[in-house]
Amino acid sequence: MMERQGYSRVIVGISALLIAALAFGCASRPSGQFFGKTEPPANNTLRYVSGSEPETLDPQISDGQPEARIYMAIYEGLVECDPKDQQPIPAIAKSWEASPNLDEFVFHLRDNAKWSDGKPITARDFVYSMRRGFSPETISRTAQLGFFIKYAEAFKSGFVFVKKNGEFLLEKDFGGVEKDSQRIGPETEFSKFLHSPARVTIDGDEKKRNKALAADPKLAEAVKGAELVPVTAEDIGVEAIDDLTLRISLRQGAPFYIGLFANQFFRLVPAQSIEKNGKNWTRPQNIVTNGPFRVKEYRPYDVLSLEKDPNYWDAANVHLDGIEFYPIEELSTIMNLYKAGSIDAMLNHAVPSSWIGEMRGYKDEYLNFPEMSTAYYAMNVTKPPFDDIRIRRAFSLGLDREALSSFRKVTKPLYYMSPTGVFHDYDKAMAKVSEEKRAEKGVSPEEWAKNIKFDPEQARKLLTDAGFPVAKNGDTYSCPTFPTDKVTLTFNTNENNRSIAEFVQSQWKQNMGITVPLKTMEFKTFLPFFKGLEYSGFSQLLWSGDYVDPYSFLSLEYGKANEGGSGFYDPKFDKMLDDANSELDMQKRYEMVARAEFYLMDQVPVIPLTVNATNWIKKPYVKGMYPNPGTLIPWKFVYFEKDPAKWDKDVANIFTTPDPKFDKQLEDLKSTQQAVAK
Amino acid sequence: MIIVPMALIVVTLTWGLIRIAPGNFYSGEKKLPAAVEATIRKKYGLDEPWYKQYGMMISNVIRGDFGDSLKYQGQTVNEIIWRHLPYSATIGILAYLLALAIGLLAGTYAAMKQNSVLDFGPMSLAMLGLSVPNFVLAPILVIFFAFTLYLFPPARWGGPSSLVLPVITLAAIYAAYIARLTRAGMLEVLRSDYIRTARAKGLSDWTVLFRHAFRGGILPVISFTGPALAALLAGTVVVEKVYALPGLGDIFIKAVLNRDEPLILGIVAFLSILIMLFNLIVDISYGFLDPRIRYE
Repeated sequence: MMERQGYSRVIVGISALLIAALAFGCASRPSGQFFGKTEPPANNTLRYVSGSEPETLDPQISDGQPEARIYMAIYEGLVECDPKDQQPIPAIAKSWEASPNLDEFVFHLRDNAKWSDGKPITARDFVYSMRRGFSPETISRTAQLGFFIKYAEAFKSGFVFVKKNGEFLLEKDFGGVEKDSQRIGPETEFSKFLHSPARVTIDGDEKKRNKALAADPKLAEAVKGAELVPVTAEDIGVEAIDDLTLRISLRQGAPFYIGLFANQFFRLVPAQSIEKNGKNWTRPQNIVTNGPFRVKEYRPYDVLSLEKDPNYWDAANVHLDGIEFYPIEELSTIMNLYKAGSIDAMLNHAVPSSWIGEMRGYKDEYLNFPEMSTAYYAMNVTKPPFDDIRIRRAFSLGLDREALSSFRKVTKPLYYMSPTGVFHDYDKAMAKVSEEKRAEKGVSPEEWAKNIKFDPEQARKLLTDAGFPVAKNGDTYSCPTFPTDKVTLTFNTNENNRSIAEFVQSQWKQNMGITVPLKTMEFKTFLPFFKGLEYSGFSQLLWSGDYVDPYSFLSLEYGKANEGGSGFYDPKFDKMLDDANSELDMQKRYEMVARAEFYLMDQVPVIPLTVNATNWIKKPYVKGMYPNPGTLIPWKFVYFEKDPAKWDKDVANIFTTPDPKFDKQLEDLKSTQQAVAK
Repeated sequence: MIIVPMALIVVTLTWGLIRIAPGNFYSGEKKLPAAVEATIRKKYGLDEPWYKQYGMMISNVIRGDFGDSLKYQGQTVNEIIWRHLPYSATIGILAYLLALAIGLLAGTYAAMKQNSVLDFGPMSLAMLGLSVPNFVLAPILVIFFAFTLYLFPPARWGGPSSLVLPVITLAAIYAAYIARLTRAGMLEVLRSDYIRTARAKGLSDWTVLFRHAFRGGILPVISFTGPALAALLAGTVVVEKVYALPGLGDIFIKAVLNRDEPLILGIVAFLSILIMLFNLIVDISYGFLDPRIRYE
């Protein structure tokens, strides 16, 4: 009896607690229109989940996207990304000019730009930053983006000039094509050097040099007995003409290059702190920054807390008082924090696939837009059976991408190397070239679409032609002679990759009767396997563009040692791209690039799968933040709207809905460059 | 004193495994220029023969200086361990205390009321606690306490209220384990002769229980405490991930994925020393609890 009484007392106690908790909880229960608690934070500080823990706060080292977003808050470069379309807008450079063939740029810097320690920013800071970034001592994974800059690659790679009888060997004497280069800005000793014929550079490492020279007897002969002069930081094509004028010279024309200067690699690093503190310069007590925000407190794996920097030249137009970056990778945890109203926005791809269906219902919050990234299967063209173009084409035509992307929900089918829906003018050029090609072949539009997209019949025919006959047994097909024991479809371990692979596998089974074995690998194991072309068959790659131009994707297959992962190399394709890049008329250039892309896809080095879509949510009171193709957020535009009437509604129209405050800020900022352009 | 050579063996094995694993810390999607790769190899001594690298590594370990993390540039391994240990330790110790309180109470109670509802009830709960993994328990707790009752934040470190859910999640499995260990231990002791003697002397139930039975009954719990506490101190991956806590466990996993050799070695050495130290403490404490064990 005693015991039972004790029991009931406990039960009463617990119930009382539960009731109290429920009553307390009801008070802060959110309304149904938004996902979870929706209330702008009182301290005007944005709380953003940035993904993995930043590797370092040194912007020249890391190539990570989570890092890139953080660097955009604390560092600035010559230009910044337009929050909507990622095109370059003025930052420390208030305007710029380009030479007629787009291989040299002069930047005019603002006279009021300062570091967070109050020191004025001059053109010499840019020269310092680039020389440091291109130094072989700097372990940078993004420096390659700058290799268009004259002699930057040679310097980074530890190459040497060759001097014989007091004269440097010149590229034009050894098979190089001398590019016509025009100077912009005043003539200086340095510009004379840069505009003199390009010098030959060869590997500074003796072993590697000898190997390279063995393939080029003429050069080997010339190098004999010559003096080798190391390429130094002072040789690269960056020059401070005066305190506020910077000139950058490229080795060839590159119409897309201005946009690249917004990349993290080209943001300024502080000479004053690096020289003094060495590798410890990024510690909170030593760090000097130059962006709209500066580091207030850094607790690794917990929070990177930033505050508005009063020294920033445009501080009057920075709306937030601070930003807190939370390094969290667990997707459901991010969603929980969002629902609880503890964060305001999150990195791209943070909504787990199991939540997407529900999130789509939150029309004021869920951001679904084309992304500047593609997913594709590379095929190792150096190993049989995929050295046979018929086999490659068969596998490409045997896959129904429409079905794949409707299965994946957040993607659109892709048939080319570069993503569709991101480069709008380029898409038009692609359509035009496609129409030309169709007319050339004289096939109907339906037939043409089939040729490019999905044609299982043709796929089976190609396989049969290539010596692997496909037999029909009732409703199914079989291709018994195809060496499925020798090929695999390999992907980096990840739930999404697996579901794609399983889907593709079943499609090929259904359409061609071939079951390609799947193989999953942890990322660091996968990389050498994939890049070293050790695989036979297919390997999955997900590629995000570094700048808003199709070249960022097509260059994956450019050159001998390219990053495409197929082992593909075709000098004709390279030539087509080179020619396109020296075309000054933008529309014409796009058409030339499009022709190169069609030519590339005719060789089928890869099977494009999907264009990904952005997949993240933000609170409707967060304004000035847009789901641009790379989810790159210039933070000074971001503000909190306190008035619920002005919150975002139906974010499907986020790009076209006017926002007077934002629009004016962007217009004002762009005006300094527009004045010059006119 | 066996701790040091044991730790060195563990570190050696780990080092070997890291070296066998494909990929390295600087491999990434984009290829590095050869000269940069050469700089890296030189900077980290990777161009030396393996025995020299091994020697360097061992001498670092002996000096207790693991050097810089390869991934997180400009941060030393020791700094990372000491910075994140307090987070894991706080959660771990609190969870273990909670688990002890619940486990000892439930286990003792169940042993006293063997084969009654009060035995089966807590023991079934304990079975549930053991079989529900914490990655299942955590979301359930979050849904209930954070989104239905709005009592505690769903994740992140900050203030005592943020510790409640992780501590409960972590404690559940240990509480269940301790309850079962306690019950078993107590049952055995309660049947022993000296308890019967004590009862025969006419001592009260409580005196018998706490003065005589308890000390012997919880011995299994004590031996479990050593490794359990060491593991808890060093962080528990799942709980840290789900609740986004800056503890050591998650950092350890990332270090492996990043092939961050010094960080992996540092944490492994630290953890193995911790485990051995706790086991030593447990062995010594036996002597105080069990009169049959005496160290000469």
